[in-house]
Amino acid sequence: MSANWDLAVIGAGPAGMSAAMAATRLGLKVGLLDEQPRPGGQIYRNPAQPTPEVLEALGEDYAHGMELIEKFRAADIDYRPGATVWDVMAGGEIAFLRDGRSAEVQARHVLLATGAIERPVPVPGWTLPGVMTVGAAQILLKTGGYVPDQPAVLVGGGPLLYLVAWQYLKAGAQIGAILETVPRSNLWSALPHASGMLSQGRLLAKGRRWLRDLRSARVRRIRGVTDVRIEGEGAAEAVTFQKGGRRQTIQTPLVLLHEGVIPNTHISLALGLEHGWNDIQQWWQPRLDDWGRADKPGFSVAGDGAGIWGAEAAEHLGLLAAHGAAMALGKDGLDQAGVAEARGALKSVAGARAFLDRLYRPARSQRVPAADDTIVCRCEEVTAGQVRQAARMGALGLTQAKAYTRCGMGPCQGRLCAPTVSALIAETRGLDDAEVPAYRPRPPFKPVTLGALAAPAFRAKAG
Amino acid sequence: MLFNGCALAYSPPPRMTDIRDRQADIIVVGGGLVGSAIAYGLTRHASRVMLLDEGDRAFRATRGNFGLVWVQSKGDGAPHYTHWTRNSQERWADFAAELKARTGVDTHHENNGGLTLCLSESEFLDRRSLMERHRRDAGNRGFEYKMLRLQELRELVPEAGDSVYGASFTPYDGTANPLFTLRAVHQGFDKLGGVYRPDHAVASIAHRDGIFRVETRHGTYEAPRVVIAAGNMTPGLARQVGMEIPLNPQRGEILVTERVAPFMRLPTQNMRQTVEGSIIMGDSKEDVGFDTSTDTSVISDIAARAVTAFPILRDVPVVRAWAALRVLSPDGLPIYAASEECPGAFATICHSGVTLAAAHANELGGWLMGADRPEAIAKLGPERFHVS
Repeated sequence: MSANWDLAVIGAGPAGMSAAMAATRLGLKVGLLDEQPRPGGQIYRNPAQPTPEVLEALGEDYAHGMELIEKFRAADIDYRPGATVWDVMAGGEIAFLRDGRSAEVQARHVLLATGAIERPVPVPGWTLPGVMTVGAAQILLKTGGYVPDQPAVLVGGGPLLYLVAWQYLKAGAQIGAILETVPRSNLWSALPHASGMLSQGRLLAKGRRWLRDLRSARVRRIRGVTDVRIEGEGAAEAVTFQKGGRRQTIQTPLVLLHEGVIPNTHISLALGLEHGWNDIQQWWQPRLDDWGRADKPGFSVAGDGAGIWGAEAAEHLGLLAAHGAAMALGKDGLDQAGVAEARGALKSVAGARAFLDRLYRPARSQRVPAADDTIVCRCEEVTAGQVRQAARMGALGLTQAKAYTRCGMGPCQGRLCAPTVSALIAETRGLDDAEVPAYRPRPPFKPVTLGALAAPAFRAKAG
Repeated sequence: MLFNGCALAYSPPPRMTDIRDRQADIIVVGGGLVGSAIAYGLTRHASRVMLLDEGDRAFRATRGNFGLVWVQSKGDGAPHYTHWTRNSQERWADFAAELKARTGVDTHHENNGGLTLCLSESEFLDRRSLMERHRRDAGNRGFEYKMLRLQELRELVPEAGDSVYGASFTPYDGTANPLFTLRAVHQGFDKLGGVYRPDHAVASIAHRDGIFRVETRHGTYEAPRVVIAAGNMTPGLARQVGMEIPLNPQRGEILVTERVAPFMRLPTQNMRQTVEGSIIMGDSKEDVGFDTSTDTSVISDIAARAVTAFPILRDVPVVRAWAALRVLSPDGLPIYAASEECPGAFATICHSGVTLAAAHANELGGWLMGADRPEAIAKLGPERFHVS
């Protein structure tokens, strides 16, 4: 079961697939560990046999993803699907769980391509049954072709909100309303970056098409919504909000929330790689050189896990990171033309990103619950009020808040609540967001049974 | 431009805290369980007690604490340490009740006895000899224990596995949640008028004209007395005020599982079930210096031992593993030091922050404020390491 690789890639999304293929071309022995049973990552999450209706709803970008996946499958890569990485050690040993057993591989260089996760949206009532994230709804659409049988209300901001609304439309589902929480003032900070967006003709056309189709289907869009609450006895029954100075209510059993995505930094933070705070995207990202290499030798990060750039950029970043790893391993014969092309493409994506990030920067009230009784840590049911109290008692960061309240001690280890808890601590103690240290995840990154950890084969290898 | 457009290195500017009071009667350096319990107890002996703590990512041994109030393995060949441990154990129930009444925080203290599992006959016989030595050393105080064969053990813990040979039992042992205890002590200290200052890592301590000047990144604090209870950072600070504290930091690793239905009625020396239902297991000893990363092979050994002891745990997921540095002196016993060179300076290091919390809160305050050293800790000074 054990293997020795030049480069281990974690994650089979666009960044991971592209990096693995590029590294193979550069002569490296490459292995790729991915949690899903099929390659594609979240963005090209790949149904075994997508129906034509599902493909139509998912659009042309998805078709591009299918092509990428085919090339990836044909490349000479030791690809291990269904592998849940639970520990990465400083020396490049990676422990993972597969088919209920733990195993270990050794790599000279490790590339994290773990993508993005959705930002938590801790509004009152967000833990009620009948409330889920837009991303989760999209996974149901992609993997099973599931759409809701009752009109859903989508709440939040960001491109994915409109994309999923549009995909629902194409798949024949009904939409109750789209409630847009993005502050109108965002437009003014985004506007100076509009030229970057305009240069991205295809991206712009896509967005226009979604909005046009939604309009002609008479989907209700309500802009400038604040103070969102989800109400119901034991399950979501209605969403209420403030608009134009008065409170409004829409009855619905299904509320889909979304306030953009943030880098999935779980492993990079656990490894203790240096991170910096991105104040526009409002989350941490590993500090990397021009080739995606982190401050600790032997580790690189590519794709959305290094900062949200989107699927297209992720492929280019993956290619650059493969070159970075190859150089670190002493390989020459780089693909100069490919590198130049990737850098050029990234430059133009960066322009559009600067605009979109500012336009859809979430309202503070969607990130930081005002009410003390709103639950922020779902695993341990810790409320905003308890975190505020911990901060007043002297918790300067998540480590101590955890000690005081148990927040972040459940199975998710803080992956889901850390952004909210940090923001609450910053608010209570009058600090900038960047002054509250990032959380420090611990192995196992995902739950692993004691039996798997104790497996004799694994212990012999690890010892 | 950086690869990922990351903001420039951000180092938060020091903020001025409330400087209303930069002076105290006594300053305790170290906000873990040891320092906090001492500071809490000091509020009965001094009116201005200040507790200086580090930031969010200090090497916090309290986090690595297993949560045992444990007697049965302590002090083989050092009966004074067994007595000190039992002093604290006997005070724990009152201490927990006092904290609960004062702060509303439940430390989850329980005292139902505890087990040490033996996996072979020779382990069992060794264990019996140890228990017998404890009984002999205890003299008039007495020391109750029972050696249980697997069948008797299963009357207490039916899930014990077939590979378990037996166990020792003493009624003195128990558990408490170390994090809730820390929180209760911090809140209690605050309610008693103590001043807690987080993010005040201490850079240096100077002694002049009977006053200690304690430097932090937020400025200088002054007091005629100072107690250094900064875990593994203690020796460096203690040296500045004339005390040599020998230390061997040891890494301990702990695994925590998902919550499962209650089955462990009693804690064992390296495994217990919390009130919430999680199983906590640990107690590995590795000598690695100041490195708090975890090690997969150690995690695996802990898991293997747990599954051997209780096979029903095989399919229970581990949700968290972490390493923390244990604060250990060369003989494993605590050190309580008073500086001769700089009178008024004290230092302590101690491995059993939870077990000894009740003694630290109740029995040290007078000494630290000028009274004689308590007889119970007379043999626990650093002098014992000095070669004469």
